[in-house]
Amino acid sequence: MKYLLVNNIRKYMTLLLLFAATVVMGQVPQRPNPPRLVNDFAGVFTGRQVMEMEGVLAAFADSTSNQIVVVTLADLQGYDKAQMAYEIGEQWGVGQARFDNGIVILVKPKVGNSRGEVFIATGYGLEGAVTDALARQIIERQMIPHFREDDYYGGVASALNVLLPIISGEISTDEYAAGGEDDGWIPALLFMVFFGIFVVFLAAMSGENNRNYGGGNNRGGRNFTATDAFILGSILGNASGSRGRSSGSFGGGSFGGGFGGGFGGFGGGSFGGGGAGGSW
Amino acid sequence: MKKGLIVLLAVAAVVLGIFFWFQGNYNRMVKMDEGVQAAWSQVENVYQRRADLIPNLVATVKGYAEHEQQTLEGVVSARSKATQITVDPENLTSEQLAKYQKAQGELGAALGKLLAITENYPNLKANENFLSLQSQLEGTENRIAVERNKYNEAARGYNTTIRQFPKNIVASMFGFEKKPYFEASEGAKEAPKVEF
Repeated sequence: MKYLLVNNIRKYMTLLLLFAATVVMGQVPQRPNPPRLVNDFAGVFTGRQVMEMEGVLAAFADSTSNQIVVVTLADLQGYDKAQMAYEIGEQWGVGQARFDNGIVILVKPKVGNSRGEVFIATGYGLEGAVTDALARQIIERQMIPHFREDDYYGGVASALNVLLPIISGEISTDEYAAGGEDDGWIPALLFMVFFGIFVVFLAAMSGENNRNYGGGNNRGGRNFTATDAFILGSILGNASGSRGRSSGSFGGGSFGGGFGGGFGGFGGGSFGGGGAGGSW
Repeated sequence: MKKGLIVLLAVAAVVLGIFFWFQGNYNRMVKMDEGVQAAWSQVENVYQRRADLIPNLVATVKGYAEHEQQTLEGVVSARSKATQITVDPENLTSEQLAKYQKAQGELGAALGKLLAITENYPNLKANENFLSLQSQLEGTENRIAVERNKYNEAARGYNTTIRQFPKNIVASMFGFEKKPYFEASEGAKEAPKVEF
């Protein structure tokens, strides 16, 4: 009888523990279905930027089997940024199970007084190619300077520009570290400056006065004006046309369906704590 | 005659069914046991990785902060204590794990102290070698947290399996023991916080 009681208590304890565990797990965003590589939960990218990155990353995943996931979250739900990035990588299964060659780029935008946080988590298989030190360099040199100016797309894009060639093995990590010191800096700075001017120019031209980085982004057809279309070409014009139709009724950030089935799905890769983070 | 054959066949079927049930469960437990052991060796790996960084770190800090003899010695002795404790993954007991965790936790605390005093030495903080060590250390702490987590998860899955009725019969017959867990309170929270 006593044993039974103890056993029962144990059982409830286990249940409780399990329940607690599932509650904690529930806070990590669900794996997107259909699978997507760019998951802008915080709504810091425009629909077009998401599509562009998704296209590049899907093609990269297709040709090299390396999977890079970009996730933005408005709130880390009490998680440490590193922990959140690993949980996303592990639970979504980013990278191939055989190679563990996934990378999770997690960005928590700076909203109000909260700090902006960024973490690059590398799967077991990529810890050699993207060392912790390299990840930190990329964050400090490529990402945070852009993020400070609220240019989330610029930061992520320039990090990807560095990461993709390294991962695909085109240039060695040593080359990057060496080149970054002297001749890599100035182009990066110049790029930053020009990009900043470009953004300001665009913003001014299109009279875009309500950039909303919160949850419900009301990025409708209005953001893509004729000016944008003029600058960026007729393709964008088409895209903005269709976007305007769909988002007129419900302004939620639903970018689904427009990617033409680029990304096949996550491969079950595993993460062991590689990578680095930063905040601003 | 015919009836006897049917009975015999039925008994044979039941015996075979029991055999296969035992076999399946036994094999699953062996597999999970191996999984837990593999997770444990990963935990030891990452702790070893941290221990390997320490001599270099101490040597670097020594060059800049000679007055911190005591803290440096604390780290060195905590390291030697922690590396002396080895755990046999084949029969991991909760006492062994607690001892291991305590020693590693003390090393973590000593390291935290060391990193805290380095704040007072701007020259050290500008040293490229030190910065690289610091980021490696931070990465190692991340890895420790992840591997400990994975070990706990593997142990939880295994423990749940061997304690469920009726599988616990198989487990007790073949001596599958419950695996201990890492306690969350220690180590993970005491780990040196490396701020940049």
